[in-house]
Amino acid sequence: MFHKAKTSARWAEPKRFSLWELRRKTILIAVWSMVLLAPTQLKATVSTEILRKVEQASDSVLLVLAAASLADVLPRIGDEWERLGGTPLVFSFDATSRLAVQASQSGSGDVFFSADPQWIRWLEEQGAIAADRAVHLAANDLVIAVSRDVSVPVQPDMLSVFERIALAGENVPAGRYARMALEQTGVWSELEGRIVRGGSVRGALEWVARGEVPAGIVYRTDAEAEPSVRIAFVFEAPEYPQAQYWGVPLGSTVYEESATDFLNFVLGDSGQSFLREAGFSRPQSDMPDGEEERYATGDTGDELVASVSSAIRLSLIIAFLATLAGLVPAVGLGWLLARRDFPGKTILSTVVTAPLVIPPVVTGFLLLSVLGASTPLGGLIASLGFPVPFTILGASIAALVVGLPLYVISVRGAFEAVDPMYEELSWTLGSSPRRTFFRISLPLALPGIAAGAVLAFARSLGEFGATVVLAGNVEGSTRTIALAVYTLLESPTGRETVWVLVGASVVISLIALLGFEALSRRQKRRLEDRHAR
Amino acid sequence: MPADTDYHLGLDLEIPFTGGGLKVELNTASTRIAVVGPSGSGKSTILRILAGVERRAHGTVLVKDHYWQDSSNGIWVPSWDRRVGWVPQETLLFPHLTVRENLSYGGALPDWVSETAALLQIKNLLDRRPRRLSGGERQRVALGRALLSKPRLLLLDEPFSALDRPLRGDLSQLVSDWALDRSVPIVLVSHDEEDAKWLAEERWHVGGGSLTKE
Repeated sequence: MFHKAKTSARWAEPKRFSLWELRRKTILIAVWSMVLLAPTQLKATVSTEILRKVEQASDSVLLVLAAASLADVLPRIGDEWERLGGTPLVFSFDATSRLAVQASQSGSGDVFFSADPQWIRWLEEQGAIAADRAVHLAANDLVIAVSRDVSVPVQPDMLSVFERIALAGENVPAGRYARMALEQTGVWSELEGRIVRGGSVRGALEWVARGEVPAGIVYRTDAEAEPSVRIAFVFEAPEYPQAQYWGVPLGSTVYEESATDFLNFVLGDSGQSFLREAGFSRPQSDMPDGEEERYATGDTGDELVASVSSAIRLSLIIAFLATLAGLVPAVGLGWLLARRDFPGKTILSTVVTAPLVIPPVVTGFLLLSVLGASTPLGGLIASLGFPVPFTILGASIAALVVGLPLYVISVRGAFEAVDPMYEELSWTLGSSPRRTFFRISLPLALPGIAAGAVLAFARSLGEFGATVVLAGNVEGSTRTIALAVYTLLESPTGRETVWVLVGASVVISLIALLGFEALSRRQKRRLEDRHAR
Repeated sequence: MPADTDYHLGLDLEIPFTGGGLKVELNTASTRIAVVGPSGSGKSTILRILAGVERRAHGTVLVKDHYWQDSSNGIWVPSWDRRVGWVPQETLLFPHLTVRENLSYGGALPDWVSETAALLQIKNLLDRRPRRLSGGERQRVALGRALLSKPRLLLLDEPFSALDRPLRGDLSQLVSDWALDRSVPIVLVSHDEEDAKWLAEERWHVGGGSLTKE
C-alpha cells in the first residue's frame, strides 16, 4: 500500500508547485478565451495572473521551471542554496517541452532548466531569453529499463522481442533522444509500431515499474532511483546521444542577479556533487549548431492532417463506445437509485458518483491498479484477447467510468420525475413491475435517459486524465482530441494544428450540449399530461 | 371466517403513518360503501391499501373470501394479482399513450373499448393524447380504464369532481348499473352527497383516528 501511495505521487508528473496543473484547471476558461479573444490575447490567461500574484505577494522568490528528470536532485541543491542564504526557490517540474512553451507564452518564471539545448535555442528565437546566456550544467545517459523479472541482458537490437516499449512523448527531450538512439542503432522503423508514450520520462518509467510495459527507454538517473526496474543497457556517450541539461535566466525575471547566482551555484562544486551523486554526468558537449539538430521530429503536412482526423475519429468512436456500454448500467443504477430503498444505497450512490469529483488522473490510476495487465483481473481480460492498457478498450473504459456519474445522475433524475403513481396504476391494471418498467417507466423517462447519454458522450469526448494514465497516448488507438491537443501544445511546429482540434472539440461539445438541452426540454414536455387545465 | 358465499369486506388495520394514526375496523356485507370524512383523515390511504400500492399498514384485508393482506401470517397479494379498478383522485392518465391505449391498458379488446367509450361519451377522444383533454374528460377516461380492466372491486376516489351536474348524475347511475350487472363491489370516497346517494348503501365516517359507520 505504501509503495502504491508513493508511486501515485510520482505519477502526478509535476511535483511541488506545478504551473501546468494550474493551467489544466483553467483550461476551460483558457479555451473560451482563445475562442472569444484574438490569439494575441493569449498571454493574459488566468494562470499568468495567478502566477504574477504569487510572485508579487512573496517578495523575491525565484520560480524555477525545470525538466522533470531534475525533480529529485534540484530541490536538494535548492535546500543547500537556501541554507547558505540564497533567495528562496519555488519549483515547477514538467517535461522540458511543455515548460518551454509555458515560459514563452506566460512570460513568467525566473530560471529555466532544459534537458535539451534545442528548447533553449527555441526560447532564444521566441525572444523569451537573452542570447548566449545559457550554461551547460550536466548530462544524463539514456538506458533501457526493464521489469525486475527480466533477467537477461538486453541489447538495443534485441528490443524487438518486447511487445511494447515505453518512451516519453515525441517532443519531450527523453522521447526525442530515445528515438535518436534507436535510429542510430537502426531498429527504429522496426520498433516504431510498438512504442507507447508516457507524457514524461517519469510516466514511461512508471509503466515499466508497474509491469504494464516490459521495457522502456528512460534516463539513467530515473531508472536508478526506481527500485522496481533494472537497467539492462546503457546508451554510452559519445557513441549515443546524451541528454544535455542547460540552465538560463528567463527574460521575464526581475531577479536576474539571483537567478544567475543560482545557476552558478548549480554549476559550482556543491551543485555538481549533488548531480554526480544522483547519477548525472559531467557536461561534455557544447551547444550544438542549429543545423543538424531538428525540432521535434517534424511531421509532414500529410501526417498532421492524418493525425488530426485520426484524433477526431478516435474521440467519436471512444465516446460512442463508452456511451453505448454505459446505457444498461446507467439505466439500471439510475432506476435503482430513484425507485428502491435498500441498505447500502448511499454507499452505492457515492461510489457511482465518485469519479465526478475524484481527479480523473486518480481514477485512471485506480483503474490501472485493477485492470492493468499485471493485475489478476486485467491479466484475465488480457488472456481473453482484450488487453486494457494502451488500447481503444482502455480508453473507452476510462471514458465510461468518468462519464458514468453524469449518466446515472441524469437517468436517476428522469426516473424520479415520473410520478410513482403511474407505476402503481399500471400494477392495479394487471401489469407486473417488470412489464410496468418497460411499458410505463422506461418510455416516460426515455428523453431524460437520452439526455444523460448525450451528456456522458460529451464528457467522454473531453476525457483526458484517466485516459492518459490507463490507456497512454498512442497515436491511432488512444490519442483522442484532448490528448492530441496536449501533445501538440509542446511541439513548436504543432501550433497551427492545435487550432483545428480546438475548433473541432468546441464544436462537437457544443452540439452535444445543445442536444442535451433539447432532450431535457422534451423530457419535461413528455410528463406534461395536463396541457388544457 | 372465510368461505361464506355472500360478499364480505373485512378490514382490521393499523395505519400509523397517516396524520395522528388511524385504526380501521370494518366488517360489512354491503357492496356499496362510501367513505366520508375531512381531508387528510386518511380516506385515500384506505383505498391505496385496498389497491395494494400501500404496504405500510399492519393488519388484515379480507375481500369476499380472499385474504389480500394478513400481516401476521405474511400474506400479501400484489396489486397486479388483485385486479382492482382504482381511480385515484389525481386521475393520472399515462401521458405517452393515447386515450385508446390508456383504455385498453388493462387488456380490453378493441370492441369493448369502443363500446365503453361510447357509454362514457368519450368516443370522439380516442386518438387524443391526455394532455389535450379537459378535467372532466380525463375523469371519464380514468373511470373507463378502471372499468375495462375487469375489476373484482372498484375503488373510486372523488371520481366525478370535475363533472357538471347533469352528466355527473348520469355517470354515477351508469357506474352503479354497471357494477350491479357484474356484481362488482364499490368503495367510494366522495364529498358529494349526490354521488354517495347514487352509489352507496352504507356510509362510513373517518375521523378521530378511527372508522365508524354512520
